Amino acid sequence: MKKKFVFLFSFILIAFFLFNACAENKGSDKNKTYEPVELFPEPPRPAGQTDALELRCDPIDTVRIGFIGLGNRGAGAVYRYTFIKGVKIKALCDLEQWKIDRAQKTLEKAGLPKADEYTGEDGWKQLCDRDDIDLVYIVTDWRHHTPMAVYAMEHGKHAVSEVPAAVTIDECWQLVNTVEKTRKHFMQLENCVYDYFEMAEHRMADEGVFGEIVHVEGSYIHDLRAHNFETDEHKGGYWNMWRLKELEKRNGNTYPTHGFGPLCHILNIHRGDRMDYVVSLSSNQFGMTEYAKKKFGEDSDFAKRKYKKGDMNTSIIRTANGKTLMIQHDVTSPRPYSRIQLVSGTKGFACKYPVQQIAIDGKHRKGSHLEPLPEDEMNEMLKKYEHPIVTEIGKEAKKVGGHGGMDFIMDYRLIYCLHNGLPLDQDVYDAAEWSALSELSEKSVKNHGMPIKYPDFTRGAWKKLHKVTYYHK
Amino acid sequence: MEKIKRITLLLVVTIFSMIMFTAFSGIKDNSKTFQPLNLFPEPPRPAGQTDALELRCDPIDTVHIGIIGLGMRGYGAVYRLSFLKTAKISAICELSQAKVDRALKLLKERKYPEPDVYLGKDEWKKMCQRDDIDLVYIVTNWGNHTPMAVYAMEHGKHAVSEVPAAVTIDECWQLVNTVEKTRKHFMMLENCVYDYFEMATHKMAEEGLFGEIVHAEGSYIHDLRALNFNTTENFGGYWKMWRLEQNAKRNGNLYPTHGFGPLCQIMNIHRGDRMEYVTSVSTNQFGMTQFAKKEFGENSDFAKRKYKNGDMNTSIIRTANGKTLMIQHDVTSPRPYNRRHMISGTKGYACKYPVQEVVLDSDYHSGHHKPLPEDELKKLLKKYEHPIVTEIGKEAKKVGGHGGMDFIMDFRLIYCLNNGLPLDEDVYDAAEWSALAELSEKSVENHGTPVKYPDFTRGAWKKLHKVTYYHK
Repeated sequence: MKKKFVFLFSFILIAFFLFNACAENKGSDKNKTYEPVELFPEPPRPAGQTDALELRCDPIDTVRIGFIGLGNRGAGAVYRYTFIKGVKIKALCDLEQWKIDRAQKTLEKAGLPKADEYTGEDGWKQLCDRDDIDLVYIVTDWRHHTPMAVYAMEHGKHAVSEVPAAVTIDECWQLVNTVEKTRKHFMQLENCVYDYFEMAEHRMADEGVFGEIVHVEGSYIHDLRAHNFETDEHKGGYWNMWRLKELEKRNGNTYPTHGFGPLCHILNIHRGDRMDYVVSLSSNQFGMTEYAKKKFGEDSDFAKRKYKKGDMNTSIIRTANGKTLMIQHDVTSPRPYSRIQLVSGTKGFACKYPVQQIAIDGKHRKGSHLEPLPEDEMNEMLKKYEHPIVTEIGKEAKKVGGHGGMDFIMDYRLIYCLHNGLPLDQDVYDAAEWSALSELSEKSVKNHGMPIKYPDFTRGAWKKLHKVTYYHK
Repeated sequence: MEKIKRITLLLVVTIFSMIMFTAFSGIKDNSKTFQPLNLFPEPPRPAGQTDALELRCDPIDTVHIGIIGLGMRGYGAVYRLSFLKTAKISAICELSQAKVDRALKLLKERKYPEPDVYLGKDEWKKMCQRDDIDLVYIVTNWGNHTPMAVYAMEHGKHAVSEVPAAVTIDECWQLVNTVEKTRKHFMMLENCVYDYFEMATHKMAEEGLFGEIVHAEGSYIHDLRALNFNTTENFGGYWKMWRLEQNAKRNGNLYPTHGFGPLCQIMNIHRGDRMEYVTSVSTNQFGMTQFAKKEFGENSDFAKRKYKNGDMNTSIIRTANGKTLMIQHDVTSPRPYNRRHMISGTKGYACKYPVQEVVLDSDYHSGHHKPLPEDELKKLLKKYEHPIVTEIGKEAKKVGGHGGMDFIMDFRLIYCLNNGLPLDEDVYDAAEWSALAELSEKSVENHGTPVKYPDFTRGAWKKLHKVTYYHK
């Protein structure tokens, strides 16, 4: 018996070492190439579901809206909707009465009727349960976007949410599956898609000014330390400091969509190309602790807390057609605001931050250096390629405001498409793809930059379309 | 029966142990993370060798120089070096008579004593064998830098070469080992370290203006299509189109040092921090073929050739102290020239391209930081003008060479040799900055899989705490 045991034990040991040796051998075999790791395989599409590319729904004459979340962004949204024709603000929901009162006042000032009020933990569900609302407009903290949107769609409403639409890959799939199942719209409110330079850049790309687009760069570089560490919501803080908590818990690109979204549209992602894999690295965390020490003292709770989020995160994504995107996130360093918004092609180049530049192959060379267009030529070009949507609504949008107008263009387009039964400019796959970078980058960072396969949220349908279309009736 | 039982038991146990092992070693298990590939383990230091950090050699009153390569950059070097009084161009070496003649003509015009001429394939070796030359100045195509430098050092000369100093990791180690063994200097001629804005930001960093530096970005974005496809043998394109060949054969950051070097010095790499691993991704190749079609026709050889190098390569490096560098290479896209030179710290920020900007966060305000207005930026750049620029910057502008930085580099090289001081850029700098080429190639080939950065100092990177540009 004892002999048998020794034999067995040695056999296990040998098997273990053999397997170990094989596994290690993989690492030193120079002839083998490493493939991106499929950490998030695509779940099969449930039976009876089809893709929701260019989803069209019945036109709605008057879009009846319920708003959830009336904080910083929500209050601005309500204000903007007082300028939009063909809508009714039916319901307002928040956990805090003063925010509801503030929004009611906005309606009153605009000469609009009071909206129904919802508050308390489950107020938003009651709002979604109504049968006289068409669109649920979600402007809460990040963690509530997907659960609320899914619930709203399952209760027969179209849903839109602030960015990011989802915090995890699992949530991305929830959104995709719910749209595919319910055939209701979901749009992530990525306002930067509608900014003036971005729209002109998009049109230039569409019309071939840049040739084949090879590489693009976007970022969210915005020093938010004062907001994240503000304990008082009346002074610019976030509700319960939720945004600081995100930075305590996660290390990656936690807020990717602003610089990323417009570039994905320009590259026609999931309309003939798709993101194949991503690598991502973060620096350590330096800036938050340094700031907390200075603001609250060396021995304060804020100074002693651990913040997982490295100050700067850089990700590189490669697409199936061999293009790259470089996407960054830094909300703690004292730097000028930047979304970069750089587009580089075989025939031309454009960049928004830190200075607007356009360069065209063959125009303005100094020795071996290509020069950007002089300001007047660039402005002519921006005028020539002004996007039709900007021509249509750009001036009014500037008057209403909201990040210089782009927020209003976004709302205008959303309602326009709902009125006319058109596909929305940004679909649920956009929302999933742009939001997914946060968990993908977290996983890559944790694994020292290991490449991770980008999930194909269209489950194979990305070749069906050939370009992004902003529809007109 | 007993036998079957035993075998079944064995099988079950084996399968179980293998499954357990897979579970524990698998990437999906959160307890174990993927580690950067150690594709280039450090070779042990040969017996009797020690590190060559801050290497000092005997002072040389007049530095006798032999120059190999008189093309684009070599010709410029001859011109610049002819201004330095404590140096003497003793010999020049080339494969082409026309280039020799051009250099001799230049020296004659400058009333400079005529150097000895070495013309032909193995002549550079003869030049290195002389015993009245102190410094071999190598300005050839990339592939010859390391072999020539190694040969020169082994024949008792100090050696310097154009960038990149080495094309492979193996060459990097050859340089390191040869310096450690021969105790001769090797410097890679990274001129951008000496550019005016770079030097000022280096001083700002040293004096803590940026706080803790967190992240830096550099690049070599320079549309070289016209040069790479220039078929002119002499005075136009590259010799035998060697640079096009490089782009045809390799995919990665082939020419990393200009944007990279100054950042490494500002971050004191191998002086208290070191680069730990790198991940790199390239686009496909689009621009070269498109250019070749347009220039030579759809059916031309150039249009039909395969070029391996993707138009844009982006690499991200992480250091032991948790800082990151983002380094790019693109020599085919129509874009304005750009080395970026961006430094981001906890207290400030600077960036050179596409516009010079500095942000200082002394009052810790937040939100949308405005860069310093132009006049304040000028004042700041004046205040933090590097002492070396104060010393020689004006004269350098007169002599020229990329706006002066080339001359500052030559001046500093000769100054340090004259005074027996450590050189500003050492052999580990040369190895680290050049190594990115092959490291990025390997990472690109493996879909961005992170690759461990070799520690060329073999553990000595903690000895020093900062980069020092010495003065007597």
